[in-house]
Amino acid sequence: MGYFERALLASIVIGAGAGFVGALVVLRRRTFFAQALTHGTYPGAVAAAALGVSVPLGAAAASVVLVAVMSAIARVRRQGAQVAAGIVLTGGFAAGALLQAVIPGLPVRAESLLVGSILTVTDADIVLAAAVAVIAVAAVAVFGKEIAFSTFDPSGFRASGYREWPVELLVLGLTAAMVVSALPAVGAILAIALIAAPAAAARLVVPTYRGILLAAPVIGAASGIIGVVASRALAVAAGPAIALAATAFFVLALGISKVRALPLNRVAIPVETAEDARTA
Amino acid sequence: MTESPVLRLEGVAFTHPGGSGVSGLDLEIAPGEAVALIGPNGAGKSTLLMGVLGMVTLTAGRMTVASSEADAATEASTAAAGPRRTHSQDGMIGFLPQAAELDPDFPISLEQVVMQGRYRRLGFLRWPGRADREAVRRALETVGLGDLARRRFGELSGGQRQRGLLARALASEPRLLLLDEPFNGLDQQNRDALIDTVRGLKARGVAVLISTHDLELAKLVCDRVVLVNGTQLAFGPVADVLTLDNVQECFDGVEVELDEHTLVVPGHEGH
Repeated sequence: MGYFERALLASIVIGAGAGFVGALVVLRRRTFFAQALTHGTYPGAVAAAALGVSVPLGAAAASVVLVAVMSAIARVRRQGAQVAAGIVLTGGFAAGALLQAVIPGLPVRAESLLVGSILTVTDADIVLAAAVAVIAVAAVAVFGKEIAFSTFDPSGFRASGYREWPVELLVLGLTAAMVVSALPAVGAILAIALIAAPAAAARLVVPTYRGILLAAPVIGAASGIIGVVASRALAVAAGPAIALAATAFFVLALGISKVRALPLNRVAIPVETAEDARTA
Repeated sequence: MTESPVLRLEGVAFTHPGGSGVSGLDLEIAPGEAVALIGPNGAGKSTLLMGVLGMVTLTAGRMTVASSEADAATEASTAAAGPRRTHSQDGMIGFLPQAAELDPDFPISLEQVVMQGRYRRLGFLRWPGRADREAVRRALETVGLGDLARRRFGELSGGQRQRGLLARALASEPRLLLLDEPFNGLDQQNRDALIDTVRGLKARGVAVLISTHDLELAKLVCDRVVLVNGTQLAFGPVADVLTLDNVQECFDGVEVELDEHTLVVPGHEGH
């Protein structure tokens, strides 16, 4: 397999996986959390690069700490969680930047950690992303109805005798795993585009929960293919091209939903989705 | 023959982590009986309901739901593990919250919301079968929304959503139904439909606890009344408890008018 074919395969696997997990994230309104996570894993990736160990491993270690912190915060108050996510986001990013500045002779270029370099992904990177995607699908197969219930009505879910934190932890854990496995391809900054944009686009044009879970991975994979092909044809960086393709799908979906809403139809653009898009 | 009560509270207090709560609760509800839970805003009515559900900690006394017990001692020993596993886990208790803050854009249909009432019985991994779909259909018929099953939940009116959530509580086929201010914001038509539903449930042997400001309504469908304001003030048959003195004491100096059929509590817009 040539480097281009491998990059295509990686973009499909990571795009589909991120789209699927992104659907859970966007429906749960955890987009800002996910973004904090992507930036917060950055110092872990830098430290791993400096120590000469696997970059996803370093990012994973950082994300375990972050998921623990954020799921603890999520049990307290929503407003506090937003603020804390913002602090984790900027704090993590600043720590990464500082580490990168003070550690001399890093073997990895800063850009590849920030925006990825899909042309240099390894087979192991692809296997990791595929494994995360399979685990995410399996988790939804087992706990899908509980995830949907707790997302739609958290207090009703608790009143039915369920505990909410395992579901929260499961979704955060899947998000963290997806972010980590997407790092080699699209980097710490752009991973959120693949998680948020395809799912937000699907939510705009697909009316059912199940449909969104099916459509978001397709849009994510398509974004990956378009980005990689465009990067070769136009000789631009692949990571940003993939992120822009995902953004274009969102703009397209927004246009479709606006046109649909035009003739005496009262369906409004969901406010939360518009917010998610801004965050993306 | 007297059937054993579905819910019994003996000297119970429920306390929020911040220290507020409701105490001195001594009451019981028999199968097929409706009890009105009456008190001013902030009296602890919702806290009591949440406590029965296991979402607020029991800090004194003993609670029996059907035949399963909880007391303050076991509560304290399990408190570290988070809220206790609740009776609603096995579908024993159905709950209609006061004001569910639900995203009107969430992609979910009315029948899918009602199906959530079956999840506890289904457990993990299993997906709804024919019996579950039948229970959902019956619950929707009971609240008069059978025609709207496929409609997106967010497109329904406020009263219809409220009835939809009641259908979800019914779909779990509970032995005890907790209704938190179910008549707030309902128009006359939805209110009448809800009263009919409660009567039908009583006839089927379901025990119902209704928190409300609406004294007239309590007289209409409830057998007994419990008056609370931070602590329990009275519990007994409607005619014995809803006296001018009791209601005035409960509503704490708010002027109460008493005519032959209605007690009006100014300042508490209960409908």
